[in-house]
Amino acid sequence: MKSKISALMDGELDAGELHEPLSALHQDPGARDAWRTYHLISDALQGRALVRTDCLSRVAARLAQEPVPVAAQPAAVRPPERARWFVPSALAASLAAVALVGWVAFAPPAGNAPAPLARAPAPVVAQAERAQEPARVPLTSASRDYLLAHQAFSPRNGLLGMAPYVRSVSSDAGAKKP
Amino acid sequence: MSRALGALLLCAASGLAQAQAAPEALEWLRKIHQATQKLSYTGVFVYQQGGRTETSRITRRADAGGGAEKLEVLDGTPREILRTQDEIRCYLPESQVVKVDQRRDQRGFPSLLPEQVNALAEHYAIDTGGVQRIAGYDCQVLQLTPRDNLRYGYQLWADLRTGMLLKARAFDAKGETVEQFTFTQLDIGSVPRGRLRPSRAARGWRVEQAGVAPADLSRSGWSMSADLPGFRKIVEIRRMLRDAQPVGQVVYSDGLAAVSVFIEPLAGRSEAARLGLATMGALNVYTREVADHLVTVVGEAPAGSVQRIGNTVEYHRPQ
Repeated sequence: MKSKISALMDGELDAGELHEPLSALHQDPGARDAWRTYHLISDALQGRALVRTDCLSRVAARLAQEPVPVAAQPAAVRPPERARWFVPSALAASLAAVALVGWVAFAPPAGNAPAPLARAPAPVVAQAERAQEPARVPLTSASRDYLLAHQAFSPRNGLLGMAPYVRSVSSDAGAKKP
Repeated sequence: MSRALGALLLCAASGLAQAQAAPEALEWLRKIHQATQKLSYTGVFVYQQGGRTETSRITRRADAGGGAEKLEVLDGTPREILRTQDEIRCYLPESQVVKVDQRRDQRGFPSLLPEQVNALAEHYAIDTGGVQRIAGYDCQVLQLTPRDNLRYGYQLWADLRTGMLLKARAFDAKGETVEQFTFTQLDIGSVPRGRLRPSRAARGWRVEQAGVAPADLSRSGWSMSADLPGFRKIVEIRRMLRDAQPVGQVVYSDGLAAVSVFIEPLAGRSEAARLGLATMGALNVYTREVADHLVTVVGEAPAGSVQRIGNTVEYHRPQ
């Protein structure tokens, strides 16, 4: 079976030969491990960034804490028929894509990457999802200008006096240089 | 599933919340508002948000000319802001900069006017609570609970005798505190004029003038809308922030919370833009790029509301 999975990965199977390895990947955890291992080897050989598998669960936990986006959901891009065997849902694909992006952005120095490792599935849905879920960014010294300019127009000044202005000069709003 | 449940709960909540605000509670809001206009006081308050605290001193002197007010940050670098009837001056010692915002056009200046208090009841359930003691003052507790999840709720503690606000808490849809102002010490009474002077001469500091002027951004091709029930446009101006290019600012408000939309050209900016969402206390800052311009939305509203207003911003080349 492993040779068929390897052949599948390399795109060497005909349409008629696809059913068997795809069923195995669907039902057999051992086959899925082989699939991940082959991708890992392939990635390592090609020098691509490596993604920790437990990264996915941590990203999922972080996403669960994010506010629900208010904007209407754009129609999800369906992954191609063959790929869907390995992508249980659109959510998984976007999580994996975010995991990949997150890992690359905060990657430790080379040679420090822990095992076990896996490659994230294709990020088909990630772009639509990212468009409505903005990145969390820190306030910079530039933010102080906006906060100050905004504060003069807040009706809350009518109740709190100048106290809310403290936000525009708070060290949290200006200590970090961009 | 959870979204459907949320919508259901929201419907149920708004159904329950149709009752009018207690007249007593509205009277208290007016009393607090008058206290901020008429009282002279000096006190120390703590600002808490996101697990951090910062201590500041606030001094206010009421007089026939509209009064003057001074805010001094007591932790870290001694930053301070002075407000008079005509202008706001912000002193930043670490960068040796004084930011000056002239308040020439008072017509559109939004304050919580007594006649607007009634309108607040449309979007907030306003109730009185018990009496609690804060910094030695017996305070009436007031609660403004939003009728939807588009705004934050507020809990207020006002001195029984004067109406002076001793404590204010903003909370989110889960009832969790997003920020809190609490006086730890307060003296109400006359304040000598000398207490309202800036603490330093600031000689040689760079002065940055806001140069606020009325504007119509739609004439330059920009369109946007409040897109949130109860929010309406209260101000549309052009101003300087720090760079040489003027910045457009449009402010929307529901009478209590306010959201500002800033639009500025990306070209010529001295600092790189950070696109995304930043939060400090009840303030959310959402930054996106539209047609080679940076759109920054700052609001005392939940992230979703700030994003929603930000996402209405569009540019169409004027014909």
